[in-house]
Amino acid sequence: MRETVEAALDAARVAGASYADARIVDTTDESVSVSNGRVEGVESSVSAGVGVRVLLEGAWGFASTADTSRSGVDDCARRATDIARASGLVPGNPVHLAELTPVIDTWHGPCQKDPFDVSIEDKLGVLLAADEYLRAEAAVKITKSKLGFQKVRKWFGSTEGSYIEQEYVESGGGIVAYAIKDGEVLPRSYPNSHGGQWVQGGWESIESLDLVGNAPRIAEEAAALLAAQSCPIGEVDLIIDATQLALQVHESIGHPTELDRVLGDETAFAGTSFLTLEDLGVLRYGSDHVSVTADATVPGSLGSFGYDDEGVPAQRDYLIRNGLFSGFLTSRESALAMNRTSNGCMRADGWNRMPLIRMTTVSLEPGEWSFDDLVADTDEGLYVETNNSWSIDDRRLNFQFACEIGWEIKGGKIGRMVKNPNYTGITPRFWNACDAVCSRDHWSVSGVPNCGKGEPMQVAHVAHGASPARFRGIRTGVGR
Amino acid sequence: MRPDPAQARALAERAVETTSADQAEALVMMGSTALTRFAGNRIHQNVAEDNAGIAIRAVVGTRTGVAATNHLDVDGVRDCSTAAVRAAMAAPQDPDFPGLPNPEPITELERRSAATAGFSAEERATAVRAIVDQSASRGLVAAGTVSVSEQAFAIANSNGISAAMPTTFARATVLSTGPDGGTGWASFSDRDVSALAPAALGDEAATLAERSANPGELEPGAYSVVLAPEAVADIVNFLAYAGFSAKAVEEGRSFMSGRLGEKLVSEAISITDDALAAETIGLTFDFEGVPKRVVNLIENGVAVSPVTDSYWSARTGSPNTGHALPAPNSYGPMPLNLEMAPGEETIDGLVAQVDMGVYVTRFHYVNIDEPVPVLLTGMTRDGTFLIENGRLTRPLKSLRFTQSAIAALRDVGGVTRDRKLLGQDAGATHVPGLLLRSFEFTGQTD
Repeated sequence: MRETVEAALDAARVAGASYADARIVDTTDESVSVSNGRVEGVESSVSAGVGVRVLLEGAWGFASTADTSRSGVDDCARRATDIARASGLVPGNPVHLAELTPVIDTWHGPCQKDPFDVSIEDKLGVLLAADEYLRAEAAVKITKSKLGFQKVRKWFGSTEGSYIEQEYVESGGGIVAYAIKDGEVLPRSYPNSHGGQWVQGGWESIESLDLVGNAPRIAEEAAALLAAQSCPIGEVDLIIDATQLALQVHESIGHPTELDRVLGDETAFAGTSFLTLEDLGVLRYGSDHVSVTADATVPGSLGSFGYDDEGVPAQRDYLIRNGLFSGFLTSRESALAMNRTSNGCMRADGWNRMPLIRMTTVSLEPGEWSFDDLVADTDEGLYVETNNSWSIDDRRLNFQFACEIGWEIKGGKIGRMVKNPNYTGITPRFWNACDAVCSRDHWSVSGVPNCGKGEPMQVAHVAHGASPARFRGIRTGVGR
Repeated sequence: MRPDPAQARALAERAVETTSADQAEALVMMGSTALTRFAGNRIHQNVAEDNAGIAIRAVVGTRTGVAATNHLDVDGVRDCSTAAVRAAMAAPQDPDFPGLPNPEPITELERRSAATAGFSAEERATAVRAIVDQSASRGLVAAGTVSVSEQAFAIANSNGISAAMPTTFARATVLSTGPDGGTGWASFSDRDVSALAPAALGDEAATLAERSANPGELEPGAYSVVLAPEAVADIVNFLAYAGFSAKAVEEGRSFMSGRLGEKLVSEAISITDDALAAETIGLTFDFEGVPKRVVNLIENGVAVSPVTDSYWSARTGSPNTGHALPAPNSYGPMPLNLEMAPGEETIDGLVAQVDMGVYVTRFHYVNIDEPVPVLLTGMTRDGTFLIENGRLTRPLKSLRFTQSAIAALRDVGGVTRDRKLLGQDAGATHVPGLLLRSFEFTGQTD
């Protein structure tokens, strides 16, 4: 593959590029799904191609092709250069890239048992067994379970002399029971909603989920939701579980700290950010209890790699330290706006997309509380688990989340179950209302395999570590 | 490799002929796409992609498996076919599987524009320049896209289906931002990029941005709303996602479940799915090669019928309307060419009916809180105005709504005559503007 990468770089140089990088990506996917006792899908796919990104007279061009023959790659590099030339017809300030020491290296993600060596029959066996337990609960009318696997191999080279090979495997899965009655549809998911839990790792990660063992409890909770009370309307002290908090971090800290959004590059699609460059080191993003890191070195996380798709090494960086806004997610181009080097967040959704600033593992750092102590310390409140829906404005300020399930807290004790709990807030006010974060004993990393951004749309695989945390005076029961 | 429907059809047919499965279906998609993205009044991303792939559905008894690849040489397609058969063999028998569909006559319509297929990087940049100039010359900042795509689809199966069709799609968007918090949006989509008037599009967005400067607050509550077509399209698309599929109806997840034949919304509302409509985009057959039929989903407020595919047609005993998505498909059938019937009003005429209300240019980040009432939450964006005494009086900050779409559509004050086509590669939503008498705003941004 190195010869093909070098050929693309040579063709770009000859065509006039001042900088070029080329990525060959070869991806294999497999998924199996079961619904209501029926195998709904057994699917595999392979996709390979090359993407060439060039700078010509300070403007970007990118072209991609599935044709990785010598002529195909040459044509692709020349097309990228032609596109960059066209970009120069509507120019801005010339693009410059922050310094980067070229590197030649390889990196492999963790994987103990290659899931592509596990038979489809065994995979379906897990899902069919879990599905049977889900369907044993009479109130559960729809069941869904799914496993998915991806193997990615990348070969990256740049005209600055970097050449990097990386390979990793991702595995994920989950189950959902839907209790339905009188026009109410109440889902209950395990271990997370929207596809379950995803990690970098192999079949061992699926085994550790114990989907079958958790199915009866999930079905029982779904059924119980039908009789649960509605979400309280008003302002409450809210304790949020680690999986929902992961999405809260994603939407109200991860996206607004993407420096390309701050600089306006995403304005017309997903929007901008309430943050400005001047907020760095000044803005009280949250309370003293809120520290957030971006870490591409977390073992087994969807947000981990050896090098990003510009060849920048994986790093750990603070975005918020003890409540103070401390850093952005950056690229080589955007980091220069702060006179810094990149902290390595450029990632592309395959060979046919140019890299954008994406989250790595953006995590709320653990605090000191035990969960039981936190509940006991809450006189009157609401505890919620597992995301059901999400929405946030184009500057990442006004958000509204709904969860699958909640419980009242009365006098320091978990009380009655609540269905369809939702809450809303304004980002900095919300994070400044945080007065307690649970300890590392309760901290876990949730994979988010469906983060959309960019045009054409790219779907990134990112992750968030979190432990349950408490937020004072949060508005709940919106529109109920 | 340029998208070529004849080549795609030959590849699909050859794949079906060489499989060892009892039945087989091959879907070939060839695409050439290019997108020029601008922000800060300059082009900052500019990309192009050529790709082609095949997906093979193998049937062994009543078991099915699917494999896909973009390795289209003989070995690649053979490996794909083998993987599909292996997947089918691993699955248990599915007694409900009705078999692959049989061939039916397909309406052939011209859905490819040579102008779109040949639109170059220089032409995209020239269009961007014309859009950006409208903002830059007024001290505003423009962001958006100009994109074109050309696709060739082919579907063949072992029952004799062999369908192929070329399509093109062109889209342009612009968001203009002013120094005083004003933003304005305009968009274009069509099969033919020749219909794009970039300067006019840039002017529309820039004018709206100027008009929406210094937005103010609004107390949350229920207001009458006049929704521009782009906002209406969001609501209609969520109705489709939540409720227009036979699968959703059968599973009790749809607002139509158990209520077919009932009047659910205002009689001013009629929604069809019509892939044969003159203006629309995309294929005239579905991803099983079945001709797409015109389906009355809601007629004068009455829930008429959901869409089906071969599986859900057999399960429900109703005709196959030709709305399959690519296999394997956990969503069920889906309407991709939605049309809301026009009325007799104009946007100005609708505004004139409102004493106190809100005008919405478009929504942002809408999601479903509860599926059966289609309880939606989302934000307004890029041109939200207060309506007082029949006219737009002042711009508003973006508002959050939490509102059942079904409930909102029960009290419709009027429907515009003019409609707008909001397209995507696979289809389009063609909708008018609406006046809804009660719409719940539950918050606003800072």
